[in-house]
Amino acid sequence: MSALTFTFKDAVNRIIDCKKLTPDYLQGKTIDTILSIALSSQLTVADVFDVQGNDAATLVFKNTTSQMHYIGYRMKTGSIMIEGDAGNFTGAEMQGGTLICKGSTSERTGDNMRRGLLLIEGNTGDYCASNMRAGTLGILGSTSAYLGYGMKRGTLLLSQNPIEQATWLDCGLHTLPFLNLLYQSFQRLDTQFAQLNNQRVRRWMGDVSGLGKAEILVLQA
Amino acid sequence: MKLNGVSIDDTFAEAFNMRGTRVFITAQNLKWAYHAANAMTGFSTSVIGCGVEAGIERELLASETPDGRPGVSILMFAMGSSVLMKQLETRMGQCVLTCPTAAAFSGIDSEDQISLGKNLRYFGDGNQISKLLPNAKGENKRYWRIPVMDGEFLTQETTGMVRAIGGGNFLVLGQSQPQVLAACEAAIEAMKKLPNVIMPFPGGVVRSGSKVGSKYPKMFASTNDAFCPTLKGAVKSELSDDIESVMEIVIDGLTFEDIALSIKVGIEAACALGPHNGIKRISAGNYGGKLGPHLFKLHDILNGNLSSEVEKA
Repeated sequence: MSALTFTFKDAVNRIIDCKKLTPDYLQGKTIDTILSIALSSQLTVADVFDVQGNDAATLVFKNTTSQMHYIGYRMKTGSIMIEGDAGNFTGAEMQGGTLICKGSTSERTGDNMRRGLLLIEGNTGDYCASNMRAGTLGILGSTSAYLGYGMKRGTLLLSQNPIEQATWLDCGLHTLPFLNLLYQSFQRLDTQFAQLNNQRVRRWMGDVSGLGKAEILVLQA
Repeated sequence: MKLNGVSIDDTFAEAFNMRGTRVFITAQNLKWAYHAANAMTGFSTSVIGCGVEAGIERELLASETPDGRPGVSILMFAMGSSVLMKQLETRMGQCVLTCPTAAAFSGIDSEDQISLGKNLRYFGDGNQISKLLPNAKGENKRYWRIPVMDGEFLTQETTGMVRAIGGGNFLVLGQSQPQVLAACEAAIEAMKKLPNVIMPFPGGVVRSGSKVGSKYPKMFASTNDAFCPTLKGAVKSELSDDIESVMEIVIDGLTFEDIALSIKVGIEAACALGPHNGIKRISAGNYGGKLGPHLFKLHDILNGNLSSEVEKA
């Protein structure tokens, strides 16, 4: 079994809706069926990607750009590896599984996420983790405006300080042994997050304009 | 049968079915892991008065624990699942939640899962945080982070509950109290190195072996007068003139083989002191084979047959 791999043909310059390209939706489908799946209007998978491999539980996107929106949308199981950038709503409404993006993502990354692990090695755009309900979202690069807007529960793990917001409360510096457990769960993944070992974090709680039970953990040098 | 000149009675220990669980306690260092573990396994010598029988199985290296800190492994046994669940929850709440830097994790896999921190999370008063994370095997496990005054109390939601055996035992009979105690200490030191077993009594040794029943109607157990040296001339004694002291080592374990190996290692260590150090005889406690389904025959075990279980019809 080899990972089901979608390699962007680079011949399309429109927004591409990747909602359907999740392990759950592709499970049990043949390559021919997958190639015929409609993405954006008048675009099928065959128009946009070369597809190889046969393990639908493990998806790999190669050569991707920020044109590709909704990668990992509502995924429940399995894993997705994005070897490039991704567009808006990456990992939005995730309900489980693991999504790793080696590049940067655009707006609304992890929007309404409910469960699972979403790791972004690059930067994220505005409204990252907006309305997030649970799960863990890690970002090694920079974040932008309105981080965690309306976020209810769940954990944002950042390596860089976010823009301060009035609806996120600074809970100070802490050493959290729980992070060892989290880091150990990264060890089996092909990601720079597997190198983390720092338990010293600044903890913020928010978004207090709503439920306010979410946390942002900013790794300290 | 004799072992190093010590007589081994042709008898058996009689043991009972129990429910057991294992919990890993970690902390900032071993000192504080022991503080939590000692509290959690305190007052747990016998199910008769304590609800559970519990003890520290062994120390854990930082590389063996889920959170990468040093810790200890605890085994806990009860006669039924409901008692085990209740006692585990109570002891977690009073002994581990309260102990600075301590955390608790499941130490055994099983289809039967019982609460470890599942209900303790409410101590967080709404500020508790749940995390569903894969373990080393890739299986998702739920953990709770509960804000407490020293930082966070971290606990796994559940631990496994398995079928186990309690009440394996042997008796050390000797010429004097200090000599018998020394033999028991040697036995316990050897037995503590084995996995999957605990010796729940103080220091692993019990002096107040009991028989079923009593002259007092309210008592369902009373002193084992047949093995009390000061009653030798007054009751139907099991002791010869040269026996002045008897002590018992009781073993709870996860399987028959674990307990049998433990009995073998313990008796060999006790007998190593030999008759010239006052160790005269080894026996075992039983109820004539009428009560417990597991019979540990001393001769079979010492001959290396560790799976000679005789199941009652």
